[in-house]
Amino acid sequence: MQEIRIPICSDTDIVAARKLGREMGTKLGFSSSELTLIATAISEIARNMVTYAHDGVISFAAVGTTNKRGLLIVAEDKGPGIADLSLALQDGYSTSKSLGLGLPGAKRLMDEFEIDSKPGVGTVIKMIKWNRRQ
Amino acid sequence: MPVPILKQGALLIATLQDALTDKDWLDFQFELTKLVGVHRSTGVILDLTVLDVLDSFATKSLRTIAEMVKLRGARAIVVGIHPDVAFTMVQLGLTLHGIETGLDLEDGISLMKHPTEFRSH
Amino acid sequence: MVFKDTMHIGNLEQFEGTDVTPGEISKRKDFLQFRDADIERLLEIRQFSQEHVESIVEEFYHHLLSFPDTKEFFRDPRVLARVKKAQIDYFNQLTAGNYSDDYVRGRLKIGRVHQNIGLSFDTYLGAYRRYLESFFLRLFDAYRSEPEKAVNSFLSMLKLVFLDISLAMDSYLRTIRLQTEAIRELATPVLQVRQGLLISPIIGLIDTQRARQLTESILRSIREQRAKVVVIDITGVPLVDSKVANHLVQTVEAARLMGAMVILTGISPEIAQTLVVLGVNLSTVRTVGDLQGGLEEAERYLGYRLVKDDKATPFQS
Ligand SMILES: Nc1ncnc2c1ncn2[C@@H]1O[C@H](COP(=O)(O)OP(=O)(O)O)[C@@H](O)[C@H]1O
Ligand SMILES: [Mg+2]
Repeated sequence: MQEIRIPICSDTDIVAARKLGREMGTKLGFSSSELTLIATAISEIARNMVTYAHDGVISFAAVGTTNKRGLLIVAEDKGPGIADLSLALQDGYSTSKSLGLGLPGAKRLMDEFEIDSKPGVGTVIKMIKWNRRQ
Repeated sequence: MPVPILKQGALLIATLQDALTDKDWLDFQFELTKLVGVHRSTGVILDLTVLDVLDSFATKSLRTIAEMVKLRGARAIVVGIHPDVAFTMVQLGLTLHGIETGLDLEDGISLMKHPTEFRSH
Repeated sequence: MVFKDTMHIGNLEQFEGTDVTPGEISKRKDFLQFRDADIERLLEIRQFSQEHVESIVEEFYHHLLSFPDTKEFFRDPRVLARVKKAQIDYFNQLTAGNYSDDYVRGRLKIGRVHQNIGLSFDTYLGAYRRYLESFFLRLFDAYRSEPEKAVNSFLSMLKLVFLDISLAMDSYLRTIRLQTEAIRELATPVLQVRQGLLISPIIGLIDTQRARQLTESILRSIREQRAKVVVIDITGVPLVDSKVANHLVQTVEAARLMGAMVILTGISPEIAQTLVVLGVNLSTVRTVGDLQGGLEEAERYLGYRLVKDDKATPFQS
């Protein structure tokens, strides 16, 4: 049951998390285009951590059964949280004059996406990419 | 890691590196717009060949840079976006908003020699 | 929700040339209830098994050689001698007491060999059953005074045999997967017409899988062949749903990011009508009536001109 955790507090950590995601995904047999989808989703979530919550932790684990394997990515921070989740998940919504595609985009790139956030407590995002070639 | 910018005739060629920090992007933006003026360049090619991820932050930075280059009176062409990266960008909902694109550096240079008329797609 | 019943599966490294990981194998053993006690029981009958293995293998090949399909594999007596020896090793490993990664690797490899020589899965199953019968009869004969021990040993053996079968199946399934992928690739051809121009004639129904494959091969070909224009011709496609249509639109947009233009041709009246009804936005996609028109448009875009002028060479930029 190996789980790999990586703390995120700066730009360089975002790059490291992306790289780690790629490595884990490669071991799980994902195709190169799927690896890029995964790395990009990680990039979005990790950047949000740095921008809005200052820091946080991302963990990676292989999940599934014999017939269905996937990569689980959990991003956890103790930042300000998100008051209106459905708004934050809308294309183009941003509180930082940014593109507002990070959350909705990551959701599109992954197969499963769950977000839990409480103002003043923090944000937890769980997402999974399944390997379709199984 | 600063972005290397090469002058070739009337063109500037910038080779973007992986893992650019926010500061790198800002420095690059500043340096590039400055160089366009200094060399009175007519075009800028942004070569993304080595990037394996282009997230919304990088895309926004790129758009800003292309916009500024245009305001300085030069043409901007983005080249070398990897197939996987292109597909991911589309899935994510990212576009380059009217920025011209080319296959690679060679294509970018040849595009610079032609007027833009047929590229309205 | 999905996250509740997902289990972590530990070691991710796949066994070479397979889709199987050590983590999965240990889960599989758990489910087969293959435990240390089984290993001990198998070790206990090791000597018995070694004493009988040769006669069992003789019976085993007698069985195989009595069917024309399987007989075909062993026409050469040298081959027969070699595989008999290998078979003895194989059966001896069942009671050797070591069933960890090396054992699994060996079994998976044998599965691949079966694949390579074209041995079918039902032949494999039938042959294994034949072995179990020979083994079982001898075991009960040898342990006549201790029938309980015989039963227990046999049950342990059965667990291991089922593990073997599951591993053989992994090899077969992987081959099927690879073949399916290869066929799918064939079904989405991307051809170079000339420098800078690709054409992708699609025939038949496109499902999401195939659409994905198509996108991937078109984008990859653009990169590899340095294509400026791709003409996708869907004359041979009977219908397109909104999902596939959106996939086409995404392909066009991704190609554009890469510096290439896509022209879509051969949209039948039926498909055009469906797309309009479904509200698919094709406004960003260049569409031309038929393939011929699409190629002409592509030529124009590329700057090639078909000129009747004597001085000009056709297709020159
Ligand atoms: N980890 C987080 N903590 C607090 N707020 C967040 C977090 N992630 C996202 N948000 C909020 O959700 C909004 C939408 O995020 P996103 O879709 O990534 O767009 P963008 O980052 O471009 O604004 C952000 O503007 C921000 O207000
Ligand atoms: Mg964001």
